[in-house]
Amino acid sequence: MRGSLLAIVILILAAAPAAAQQIDYSRPVDVAPSEETIGEGYVAPDVQRPLPRGGFWQVADVVLLAVALGVAAWLALRRRQRGWLVALTVACVAYFGFYREGCVCPIGSTQNVAVALVDPGYAVPYYVVAIFVLPLVAALFFGRVFCAGVCPLGAIQELMALKPVDVPRRLDAALGWLRWVYLGLALYYAVQPAVDRDFLICRLDPFVGLFRFTGPAWLLMVGGLFLVAGIFVGRPYCRWLCPYGALLSAFSRYAWRSFSITPDRELDCGLCEHACPYGAIEERRAVRTSCFACGRCYGSCPVQRASQTVAP
Amino acid sequence: MSGGHTRRELLGHAARGLALTGLGGVTGVLFLKAHATNAWAIDAGRCVNSRLGAFGIDACQRCATDCVLSLSAVRAVNEFSRCGRCYVCPAYFKITSAVGPDGLPSERVCPRDAIKREAIGWIDPDDPANNFYEYSIDESLCNGCGLCVMECKEPAGLGSIRLEVRHDVCLDCNRCSIAAVCPEDAYDRLPSPVT
Repeated sequence: MRGSLLAIVILILAAAPAAAQQIDYSRPVDVAPSEETIGEGYVAPDVQRPLPRGGFWQVADVVLLAVALGVAAWLALRRRQRGWLVALTVACVAYFGFYREGCVCPIGSTQNVAVALVDPGYAVPYYVVAIFVLPLVAALFFGRVFCAGVCPLGAIQELMALKPVDVPRRLDAALGWLRWVYLGLALYYAVQPAVDRDFLICRLDPFVGLFRFTGPAWLLMVGGLFLVAGIFVGRPYCRWLCPYGALLSAFSRYAWRSFSITPDRELDCGLCEHACPYGAIEERRAVRTSCFACGRCYGSCPVQRASQTVAP
Repeated sequence: MSGGHTRRELLGHAARGLALTGLGGVTGVLFLKAHATNAWAIDAGRCVNSRLGAFGIDACQRCATDCVLSLSAVRAVNEFSRCGRCYVCPAYFKITSAVGPDGLPSERVCPRDAIKREAIGWIDPDDPANNFYEYSIDESLCNGCGLCVMECKEPAGLGSIRLEVRHDVCLDCNRCSIAAVCPEDAYDRLPSPVT
Protein backbone atom coordinates (compact mmCIF):
# COMPACT_ATOMS: atom_id res chain seq x y z
CA MET A 1 0.00 0.00 0.00
CA ARG A 2 2.75 2.46 0.99
CA GLY A 3 4.69 1.65 -2.14
CA SER A 4 1.78 2.26 -4.43
CA LEU A 5 0.97 5.54 -2.67
CA LEU A 6 4.54 6.65 -3.16
CA ALA A 7 4.35 5.63 -6.79
CA ILE A 8 1.27 7.79 -7.27
CA VAL A 9 2.89 10.77 -5.64
CA ILE A 10 5.91 10.36 -7.88
CA LEU A 11 3.69 9.87 -10.90
CA ILE A 12 1.70 12.99 -10.09
CA LEU A 13 4.88 14.99 -9.47
CA ALA A 14 6.38 13.78 -12.73
CA ALA A 15 3.27 14.61 -14.70
CA ALA A 16 3.03 18.17 -13.41
CA PRO A 17 4.83 21.03 -15.13
CA ALA A 18 7.95 21.93 -13.24
CA ALA A 19 7.02 25.56 -12.68
CA ALA A 20 3.48 25.06 -11.30
CA GLN A 21 3.31 24.63 -7.59
CA GLN A 22 1.04 21.88 -6.45
CA ILE A 23 0.09 20.20 -3.25
CA ASP A 24 1.93 17.17 -1.99
CA TYR A 25 -0.97 14.76 -2.10
CA SER A 26 -1.35 11.58 -0.17
CA ARG A 27 -4.51 9.96 0.91
CA PRO A 28 -5.14 10.89 4.52
CA VAL A 29 -7.39 7.97 5.50
CA ASP A 30 -7.60 4.30 4.76
CA VAL A 31 -11.15 3.75 5.92
CA ALA A 32 -14.18 5.95 5.63
CA PRO A 33 -15.06 7.79 8.86
CA SER A 34 -18.29 6.65 10.42
CA GLU A 35 -20.99 8.92 11.77
CA GLU A 36 -19.59 8.41 15.30
CA THR A 37 -16.04 9.35 14.23
CA ILE A 38 -17.31 12.53 12.64
CA GLY A 39 -19.48 13.31 15.64
CA GLU A 40 -21.26 16.63 16.18
CA GLY A 41 -24.57 14.94 15.43
CA TYR A 42 -23.60 14.30 11.84
CA VAL A 43 -25.95 12.10 9.87
CA ALA A 44 -24.74 10.71 6.55
CA PRO A 45 -27.12 11.67 3.74
CA ASP A 46 -28.96 8.98 1.82
CA VAL A 47 -27.12 7.53 -1.12
CA GLN A 48 -28.87 8.23 -4.40
CA ARG A 49 -30.08 4.77 -5.27
CA PRO A 50 -31.13 4.24 -8.87
CA LEU A 51 -34.86 4.83 -8.75
CA PRO A 52 -37.07 2.16 -10.24
CA ARG A 53 -38.61 3.10 -13.51
CA GLY A 54 -41.79 5.07 -13.18
CA GLY A 55 -44.92 3.01 -13.79
CA PHE A 56 -47.05 5.96 -14.81
CA TRP A 57 -45.74 6.39 -18.33
CA GLN A 58 -45.82 2.67 -18.96
CA VAL A 59 -49.51 2.49 -18.11
CA ALA A 60 -50.12 5.71 -20.02
CA ASP A 61 -48.44 4.30 -23.12
CA VAL A 62 -50.47 1.10 -23.05
CA VAL A 63 -53.76 2.94 -22.45
CA LEU A 64 -53.01 5.49 -25.15
CA LEU A 65 -52.04 2.76 -27.60
CA ALA A 66 -55.30 0.91 -26.93
CA VAL A 67 -57.31 4.12 -27.27
CA ALA A 68 -55.53 5.08 -30.49
CA LEU A 69 -56.16 1.61 -31.94
CA GLY A 70 -59.83 1.84 -31.01
CA VAL A 71 -60.19 5.31 -32.49
CA ALA A 72 -58.41 4.22 -35.68
CA ALA A 73 -60.72 1.22 -36.02
CA TRP A 74 -63.80 3.37 -35.44
CA LEU A 75 -62.68 6.04 -37.90
CA ALA A 76 -61.69 3.57 -40.61
CA LEU A 77 -64.54 1.10 -40.30
CA ARG A 78 -67.46 3.18 -39.03
CA ARG A 79 -66.89 6.85 -39.65
CA ARG A 80 -65.24 6.15 -43.02
CA GLN A 81 -63.61 9.53 -43.42
CA ARG A 82 -60.03 10.42 -44.22
CA GLY A 83 -59.87 13.78 -42.47
CA TRP A 84 -60.08 12.44 -38.93
CA LEU A 85 -57.65 9.64 -39.77
CA VAL A 86 -55.11 12.27 -40.79
CA ALA A 87 -55.69 14.07 -37.51
CA LEU A 88 -55.07 10.82 -35.62
CA THR A 89 -51.91 10.24 -37.68
CA VAL A 90 -50.56 13.67 -36.78
CA ALA A 91 -51.39 13.15 -33.11
CA CYS A 92 -49.62 9.78 -33.06
CA VAL A 93 -46.48 11.09 -34.78
CA ALA A 94 -46.40 13.86 -32.20
CA TYR A 95 -46.94 11.62 -29.18
CA PHE A 96 -45.47 8.17 -29.94
CA GLY A 97 -42.88 9.63 -32.30
CA PHE A 98 -41.49 12.92 -31.13
CA TYR A 99 -42.65 13.00 -27.51
CA ARG A 100 -42.02 9.38 -26.54
CA GLU A 101 -39.09 9.27 -28.98
CA GLY A 102 -40.27 6.14 -30.77
CA CYS A 103 -39.83 3.82 -27.75
CA VAL A 104 -41.25 1.36 -26.68
CA CYS A 105 -42.55 0.33 -30.07
CA PRO A 106 -44.35 -2.90 -30.97
CA ILE A 107 -42.00 -3.39 -33.93
CA GLY A 108 -38.89 -3.65 -31.80
CA SER A 109 -40.72 -5.48 -29.02
CA THR A 110 -40.98 -8.48 -31.36
CA GLN A 111 -37.32 -9.13 -30.55
CA ASN A 112 -37.74 -8.75 -26.79
CA VAL A 113 -40.69 -11.13 -26.83
CA ALA A 114 -38.70 -13.65 -28.86
CA VAL A 115 -35.75 -13.43 -26.46
CA ALA A 116 -38.04 -13.77 -23.43
CA LEU A 117 -39.59 -16.90 -24.91
CA VAL A 118 -36.20 -18.49 -25.61
CA ASP A 119 -33.94 -17.25 -22.81
CA PRO A 120 -35.06 -18.34 -19.32
CA GLY A 121 -33.05 -15.54 -17.68
CA TYR A 122 -34.63 -12.76 -19.70
CA ALA A 123 -37.97 -11.21 -18.91
CA VAL A 124 -39.93 -8.40 -20.49
CA PRO A 125 -42.11 -6.12 -18.38
CA TYR A 126 -45.91 -6.32 -18.57
CA TYR A 127 -46.25 -3.17 -20.61
CA VAL A 128 -43.90 -4.43 -23.34
CA VAL A 129 -45.99 -7.60 -23.61
CA ALA A 130 -49.13 -5.46 -23.83
CA ILE A 131 -47.59 -3.21 -26.45
CA PHE A 132 -46.55 -6.22 -28.52
CA VAL A 133 -49.91 -8.01 -28.31
CA LEU A 134 -52.42 -5.14 -28.62
CA PRO A 135 -51.86 -4.28 -32.31
CA LEU A 136 -51.96 -7.98 -33.24
CA VAL A 137 -55.27 -8.50 -31.42
CA ALA A 138 -56.58 -5.35 -33.10
CA ALA A 139 -55.48 -6.80 -36.47
CA LEU A 140 -57.46 -9.98 -35.75
CA PHE A 141 -60.59 -7.93 -35.21
CA PHE A 142 -60.29 -4.84 -37.39
CA GLY A 143 -57.34 -5.35 -39.77
CA ARG A 144 -54.18 -3.26 -39.79
CA VAL A 145 -55.54 -0.33 -37.81
CA PHE A 146 -52.16 -0.02 -36.07
CA CYS A 147 -50.64 0.88 -39.42
CA ALA A 148 -53.48 3.31 -40.10
CA GLY A 149 -51.66 6.05 -38.27
CA VAL A 150 -50.97 4.80 -34.75
CA CYS A 151 -47.49 3.48 -35.51
CA PRO A 152 -45.19 6.53 -35.52
CA LEU A 153 -42.96 5.01 -38.20
CA GLY A 154 -45.92 4.44 -40.48
CA ALA A 155 -47.57 7.71 -39.57
CA ILE A 156 -44.58 9.86 -40.51
CA GLN A 157 -44.43 8.10 -43.90
CA GLU A 158 -48.19 8.35 -44.32
CA LEU A 159 -47.93 12.12 -44.01
CA MET A 160 -45.14 12.17 -46.61
CA ALA A 161 -47.01 10.21 -49.30
CA LEU A 162 -47.94 13.28 -51.31
CA LYS A 163 -47.37 12.30 -54.96
CA PRO A 164 -47.46 8.52 -54.91
CA VAL A 165 -46.98 6.59 -58.13
CA ASP A 166 -48.26 3.08 -58.79
CA VAL A 167 -45.74 0.32 -58.20
CA PRO A 168 -46.14 -2.70 -60.50
CA ARG A 169 -48.09 -5.35 -58.59
CA ARG A 170 -45.59 -8.15 -59.11
CA LEU A 171 -42.69 -5.97 -57.97
CA ASP A 172 -44.74 -4.88 -54.95
CA ALA A 173 -45.52 -8.49 -54.05
CA ALA A 174 -41.92 -9.61 -54.56
CA LEU A 175 -40.51 -6.81 -52.42
CA GLY A 176 -43.08 -7.67 -49.75
CA TRP A 177 -41.16 -10.89 -49.04
CA LEU A 178 -38.27 -8.77 -47.75
CA ARG A 179 -40.36 -8.16 -44.62
CA TRP A 180 -40.27 -11.87 -43.77
CA VAL A 181 -36.55 -12.09 -44.50
CA TYR A 182 -35.95 -9.11 -42.22
CA LEU A 183 -38.18 -10.62 -39.52
CA GLY A 184 -36.30 -13.90 -39.76
CA LEU A 185 -32.90 -12.21 -39.52
CA ALA A 186 -34.04 -10.03 -36.62
CA LEU A 187 -35.32 -13.04 -34.69
CA TYR A 188 -32.18 -15.02 -35.47
CA TYR A 189 -29.89 -12.31 -34.10
CA ALA A 190 -32.17 -11.60 -31.13
CA VAL A 191 -32.24 -15.16 -29.80
CA GLN A 192 -28.46 -15.52 -29.77
CA PRO A 193 -26.75 -15.90 -26.36
CA ALA A 194 -26.54 -12.56 -24.52
CA VAL A 195 -23.00 -11.68 -25.62
CA ASP A 196 -23.77 -12.01 -29.33
CA ARG A 197 -27.30 -10.68 -29.07
CA ASP A 198 -28.17 -7.94 -31.51
CA PHE A 199 -31.45 -6.08 -31.89
CA LEU A 200 -31.31 -5.48 -35.63
CA ILE A 201 -34.71 -3.81 -35.91
CA CYS A 202 -33.75 -1.20 -33.33
CA ARG A 203 -30.20 -0.71 -34.54
CA LEU A 204 -31.32 -0.20 -38.13
CA ASP A 205 -34.54 1.72 -37.44
CA PRO A 206 -34.32 4.55 -40.00
CA PHE A 207 -36.86 6.86 -38.36
CA VAL A 208 -36.19 6.74 -34.64
CA GLY A 209 -33.14 8.96 -35.11
CA LEU A 210 -35.34 11.59 -36.72
CA PHE A 211 -37.70 11.50 -33.72
CA ARG A 212 -34.78 11.91 -31.34
CA PHE A 213 -32.78 14.38 -33.44
CA THR A 214 -29.74 12.21 -32.88
CA GLY A 215 -28.20 8.99 -34.11
CA PRO A 216 -25.59 7.71 -36.54
CA ALA A 217 -25.27 10.10 -39.49
CA TRP A 218 -25.69 7.40 -42.13
CA LEU A 219 -28.86 6.14 -40.48
CA LEU A 220 -30.33 9.64 -40.32
CA MET A 221 -29.56 9.95 -44.02
CA VAL A 222 -31.25 6.63 -44.74
CA GLY A 223 -34.27 7.84 -42.76
CA GLY A 224 -34.30 11.07 -44.76
CA LEU A 225 -34.02 9.11 -48.01
CA PHE A 226 -36.96 6.91 -46.99
CA LEU A 227 -39.03 10.01 -46.31
CA VAL A 228 -38.09 11.66 -49.62
CA ALA A 229 -38.67 8.42 -51.54
CA GLY A 230 -41.95 8.13 -49.62
CA ILE A 231 -43.26 11.25 -51.34
CA PHE A 232 -43.38 9.29 -54.61
CA VAL A 233 -43.57 5.67 -53.42
CA GLY A 234 -46.11 5.27 -50.64
CA ARG A 235 -44.71 4.05 -47.30
CA PRO A 236 -41.74 2.04 -48.60
CA TYR A 237 -40.60 0.89 -45.14
CA CYS A 238 -44.05 -0.34 -44.13
CA ARG A 239 -44.69 -2.23 -47.34
CA TRP A 240 -41.37 -3.89 -47.96
CA LEU A 241 -39.30 -3.87 -44.79
CA CYS A 242 -41.39 -3.67 -41.63
CA PRO A 243 -41.07 -7.05 -39.86
CA TYR A 244 -44.00 -6.33 -37.57
CA GLY A 245 -46.01 -5.36 -40.65
CA ALA A 246 -45.41 -8.90 -41.94
CA LEU A 247 -46.98 -10.29 -38.76
CA LEU A 248 -49.84 -7.81 -38.95
CA SER A 249 -50.65 -8.66 -42.54
CA ALA A 250 -50.67 -12.37 -41.66
CA PHE A 251 -53.01 -11.70 -38.74
CA SER A 252 -55.23 -9.31 -40.67
CA ARG A 253 -55.94 -12.02 -43.23
CA TYR A 254 -58.29 -13.50 -40.63
CA ALA A 255 -59.70 -10.22 -39.41
CA TRP A 256 -63.25 -10.31 -38.08
CA ARG A 257 -64.13 -7.01 -39.72
CA SER A 258 -61.74 -5.04 -41.80
CA PHE A 259 -61.46 -1.94 -43.89
CA SER A 260 -63.82 -2.41 -46.81
CA ILE A 261 -65.14 -0.73 -49.90
CA THR A 262 -68.75 -1.80 -50.20
CA PRO A 263 -71.14 -1.28 -53.11
CA ASP A 264 -74.01 -0.20 -50.86
CA ARG A 265 -72.07 2.53 -49.07
CA GLU A 266 -69.64 3.51 -51.80
CA LEU A 267 -70.25 3.86 -55.52
CA ASP A 268 -68.44 0.73 -56.76
CA CYS A 269 -67.11 2.71 -59.71
CA GLY A 270 -63.40 1.94 -59.37
CA LEU A 271 -62.26 5.54 -59.02
CA CYS A 272 -60.69 4.61 -55.72
CA GLU A 273 -58.24 2.15 -57.26
CA HIS A 274 -56.01 4.97 -58.42
CA ALA A 275 -56.39 6.83 -55.17
CA CYS A 276 -54.67 4.02 -53.25
CA PRO A 277 -50.91 4.71 -53.04
CA TYR A 278 -50.23 1.24 -51.65
CA GLY A 279 -51.73 -0.97 -54.34
CA ALA A 280 -54.18 -2.31 -51.81
CA ILE A 281 -57.32 -2.12 -53.95
CA GLU A 282 -57.90 -4.96 -56.37
CA GLU A 283 -61.11 -5.38 -58.38
CA ARG A 284 -62.65 -2.42 -56.56
CA ARG A 285 -62.16 -4.11 -53.16
CA ALA A 286 -59.67 -3.40 -50.40
CA VAL A 287 -57.05 -6.10 -49.90
CA ARG A 288 -57.07 -6.48 -46.14
CA THR A 289 -53.51 -7.79 -45.82
CA SER A 290 -51.91 -4.79 -47.49
CA CYS A 291 -54.45 -2.06 -46.66
CA PHE A 292 -53.11 0.52 -44.20
CA ALA A 293 -56.61 1.94 -43.62
CA CYS A 294 -55.49 5.43 -44.59
CA GLY A 295 -58.93 6.29 -46.01
CA ARG A 296 -57.68 7.88 -49.24
CA CYS A 297 -60.18 5.76 -51.17
CA TYR A 298 -63.05 7.23 -49.17
CA GLY A 299 -61.72 10.68 -49.98
CA SER A 300 -61.90 9.89 -53.70
CA CYS A 301 -65.36 8.31 -53.63
CA PRO A 302 -68.10 10.40 -55.26
CA VAL A 303 -70.76 9.04 -52.91
CA GLN A 304 -68.64 9.85 -49.88
CA ARG A 305 -68.02 13.36 -51.16
CA ALA A 306 -71.68 13.92 -51.83
CA SER A 307 -72.76 12.62 -48.43
CA GLN A 308 -70.11 14.70 -46.68
CA THR A 309 -71.17 17.93 -48.32
CA VAL A 310 -74.81 17.29 -47.47
CA ALA A 311 -74.36 16.01 -43.94
CA PRO A 312 -70.83 16.39 -42.59
CA MET B 1 -71.51 -20.97 -53.92
CA SER B 2 -73.04 -20.09 -50.57
CA GLY B 3 -71.58 -23.31 -49.15
CA GLY B 4 -68.07 -22.21 -50.14
CA HIS B 5 -68.69 -18.87 -48.58
CA THR B 6 -69.68 -20.46 -45.31
CA ARG B 7 -66.69 -22.74 -45.32
CA ARG B 8 -64.47 -19.76 -45.89
CA GLU B 9 -66.11 -17.96 -42.99
CA LEU B 10 -65.68 -21.01 -40.79
CA LEU B 11 -62.02 -21.24 -41.72
CA GLY B 12 -61.65 -17.57 -40.88
CA HIS B 13 -63.26 -18.10 -37.48
CA ALA B 14 -61.03 -21.08 -36.79
CA ALA B 15 -57.88 -19.22 -37.83
CA ARG B 16 -58.85 -16.22 -35.73
CA GLY B 17 -59.58 -18.40 -32.73
CA LEU B 18 -56.26 -20.19 -33.18
CA ALA B 19 -54.34 -16.93 -33.47
CA LEU B 20 -56.06 -15.49 -30.39
CA THR B 21 -55.29 -18.63 -28.41
CA GLY B 22 -51.66 -18.46 -29.52
CA LEU B 23 -51.36 -14.80 -28.56
CA GLY B 24 -53.05 -15.55 -25.25
CA GLY B 25 -50.59 -18.35 -24.59
CA VAL B 26 -47.58 -16.16 -25.39
CA THR B 27 -48.98 -13.39 -23.19
CA GLY B 28 -49.56 -15.84 -20.36
CA VAL B 29 -46.04 -17.28 -20.52
CA LEU B 30 -44.50 -13.80 -20.62
CA PHE B 31 -46.69 -12.49 -17.79
CA LEU B 32 -45.60 -15.37 -15.58
CA LYS B 33 -42.00 -14.29 -16.14
CA ALA B 34 -42.59 -10.57 -15.95
CA HIS B 35 -42.20 -10.12 -12.18
CA ALA B 36 -38.77 -8.65 -12.86
CA THR B 37 -37.45 -6.74 -15.79
CA ASN B 38 -34.04 -6.45 -17.31
CA ALA B 39 -32.58 -2.97 -17.39
CA TRP B 40 -29.23 -1.62 -18.48
CA ALA B 41 -26.61 -1.52 -15.75
CA ILE B 42 -22.86 -0.93 -15.49
CA ASP B 43 -20.53 -3.64 -14.29
CA ALA B 44 -18.07 -1.76 -12.03
CA GLY B 45 -15.55 -4.56 -12.35
CA ARG B 46 -15.32 -3.94 -16.07
CA CYS B 47 -15.85 -0.17 -16.43
CA VAL B 48 -12.41 1.35 -16.94
CA ASN B 49 -13.25 4.36 -14.77
CA SER B 50 -14.06 2.29 -11.72
CA ARG B 51 -12.02 -0.86 -12.29
CA LEU B 52 -9.03 -1.17 -9.95
CA GLY B 53 -5.64 -1.26 -11.59
CA ALA B 54 -6.58 1.06 -14.43
CA PHE B 55 -4.85 4.14 -13.11
CA GLY B 56 -2.99 7.12 -14.49
CA ILE B 57 -4.92 6.93 -17.78
CA ASP B 58 -7.56 9.20 -19.24
CA ALA B 59 -11.08 8.51 -18.05
CA CYS B 60 -13.46 7.09 -20.64
CA GLN B 61 -16.30 9.56 -21.12
CA ARG B 62 -18.53 7.60 -23.47
CA CYS B 63 -21.35 7.42 -20.90
CA ALA B 64 -21.61 11.20 -21.04
CA THR B 65 -21.33 11.56 -24.79
CA ASP B 66 -23.15 8.57 -26.24
CA CYS B 67 -26.52 8.36 -24.46
CA VAL B 68 -29.46 9.24 -26.70
CA LEU B 69 -30.71 11.60 -24.01
CA SER B 70 -29.33 15.14 -24.02
CA LEU B 71 -28.31 14.66 -20.39
CA SER B 72 -27.07 11.11 -20.10
CA ALA B 73 -29.05 8.60 -18.03
CA VAL B 74 -25.75 7.70 -16.36
CA ARG B 75 -24.84 9.58 -13.18
CA ALA B 76 -22.00 9.47 -10.70
CA VAL B 77 -23.14 8.42 -7.24
CA ASN B 78 -21.16 8.89 -4.04
CA GLU B 79 -21.52 5.97 -1.64
CA PHE B 80 -21.30 7.97 1.60
CA SER B 81 -20.50 4.95 3.75
CA ARG B 82 -17.22 4.57 1.87
CA CYS B 83 -16.35 8.27 1.40
CA GLY B 84 -13.26 9.44 3.29
CA ARG B 85 -14.63 13.02 3.50
CA CYS B 86 -11.07 14.27 2.96
CA TYR B 87 -9.96 17.89 3.18
CA VAL B 88 -8.40 17.50 -0.25
CA CYS B 89 -10.56 15.15 -2.22
CA PRO B 90 -8.76 13.92 -5.35
CA ALA B 91 -12.09 13.56 -7.13
CA TYR B 92 -13.07 17.12 -6.28
CA PHE B 93 -9.78 18.98 -6.68
CA LYS B 94 -7.46 18.48 -9.59
CA ILE B 95 -4.54 17.68 -7.34
CA THR B 96 -2.00 18.34 -10.06
CA SER B 97 -3.15 21.92 -10.57
CA ALA B 98 -1.35 24.94 -9.13
CA VAL B 99 -1.99 25.78 -5.49
CA GLY B 100 -4.28 28.76 -4.93
CA PRO B 101 -4.06 31.42 -2.21
CA ASP B 102 -6.07 29.20 0.18
CA GLY B 103 -3.50 26.42 -0.05
CA LEU B 104 -5.84 24.20 -2.03
CA PRO B 105 -5.49 23.14 -5.67
CA SER B 106 -6.99 25.84 -7.85
CA GLU B 107 -8.78 23.59 -10.36
CA ARG B 108 -11.68 21.16 -10.03
CA VAL B 109 -12.02 17.72 -11.57
CA CYS B 110 -15.70 18.03 -12.49
CA PRO B 111 -16.09 19.93 -15.77
CA ARG B 112 -19.69 20.77 -14.90
CA ASP B 113 -19.13 21.71 -11.26
CA ALA B 114 -21.65 19.09 -10.17
CA ILE B 115 -19.84 18.12 -6.95
CA LYS B 116 -20.65 20.14 -3.83
CA ARG B 117 -18.09 20.37 -1.04
CA GLU B 118 -19.34 21.28 2.43
CA ALA B 119 -17.55 21.27 5.74
CA ILE B 120 -19.12 19.10 8.40
CA GLY B 121 -19.59 20.93 11.70
CA TRP B 122 -17.29 23.63 13.02
CA ILE B 123 -14.00 24.31 11.23
CA ASP B 124 -10.91 25.49 13.03
CA PRO B 125 -9.77 28.47 10.89
CA ASP B 126 -6.14 27.77 11.80
CA ASP B 127 -6.34 24.11 10.88
CA PRO B 128 -9.04 23.54 8.26
CA ALA B 129 -7.40 20.30 7.14
CA ASN B 130 -8.32 18.69 10.43
CA ASN B 131 -11.94 18.35 9.55
CA PHE B 132 -14.38 16.26 7.54
CA TYR B 133 -15.94 17.47 4.33
CA GLU B 134 -19.02 16.15 2.65
CA TYR B 135 -19.02 15.69 -1.11
CA SER B 136 -22.42 15.36 -2.72
CA ILE B 137 -23.23 15.17 -6.41
CA ASP B 138 -25.92 17.29 -8.00
CA GLU B 139 -27.86 14.94 -10.27
CA SER B 140 -29.24 17.72 -12.39
CA LEU B 141 -25.71 18.72 -13.38
CA CYS B 142 -23.84 15.41 -13.50
CA ASN B 143 -23.63 13.88 -16.96
CA GLY B 144 -21.87 10.68 -15.97
CA CYS B 145 -18.53 11.49 -17.60
CA GLY B 146 -16.80 9.47 -14.89
CA LEU B 147 -13.78 11.76 -14.40
CA CYS B 148 -14.39 11.84 -10.63
CA VAL B 149 -14.87 8.06 -10.54
CA MET B 150 -11.44 7.61 -12.09
CA GLU B 151 -9.82 9.95 -9.54
CA CYS B 152 -11.65 8.62 -6.50
CA LYS B 153 -10.70 5.00 -6.83
CA GLU B 154 -7.94 3.28 -4.88
CA PRO B 155 -5.20 4.01 -4.15
CA ALA B 156 -5.62 7.81 -4.47
CA GLY B 157 -9.10 7.70 -2.97
CA LEU B 158 -11.32 5.16 -1.31
CA GLY B 159 -13.38 4.36 -4.40
CA SER B 160 -16.67 5.64 -3.03
CA ILE B 161 -17.91 7.17 -6.28
CA ARG B 162 -19.38 4.93 -8.94
CA LEU B 163 -21.28 5.31 -12.18
CA GLU B 164 -24.88 4.21 -12.25
CA VAL B 165 -27.68 4.05 -14.80
CA ARG B 166 -30.70 5.93 -13.46
CA HIS B 167 -33.56 3.62 -14.41
CA ASP B 168 -36.14 6.36 -13.98
CA VAL B 169 -34.49 8.40 -16.75
CA CYS B 170 -33.13 5.60 -18.90
CA LEU B 171 -35.28 5.01 -21.98
CA ASP B 172 -34.32 1.34 -21.88
CA CYS B 173 -33.44 1.30 -25.56
CA ASN B 174 -33.16 -2.15 -27.03
CA ARG B 175 -29.89 -1.00 -28.55
CA CYS B 176 -28.36 1.03 -25.73
CA SER B 177 -26.12 3.39 -27.64
CA ILE B 178 -23.61 3.59 -24.79
CA ALA B 179 -23.42 -0.19 -24.54
CA ALA B 180 -22.76 -0.28 -28.27
CA VAL B 181 -19.61 1.84 -27.90
CA CYS B 182 -18.44 0.87 -24.40
CA PRO B 183 -14.79 -0.14 -24.91
CA GLU B 184 -14.88 -2.56 -21.98
CA ASP B 185 -18.29 -4.18 -22.63
CA ALA B 186 -19.28 -3.08 -19.15
CA TYR B 187 -22.96 -2.70 -20.01
CA ASP B 188 -25.44 -5.47 -19.61
CA ARG B 189 -29.12 -5.94 -19.02
CA LEU B 190 -29.56 -6.99 -15.44
CA PRO B 191 -32.72 -7.68 -13.43
CA SER B 192 -34.02 -4.49 -11.90
CA PRO B 193 -37.07 -3.56 -9.83
CA VAL B 194 -40.09 -1.98 -11.49
CA THR B 195 -42.72 0.04 -9.74
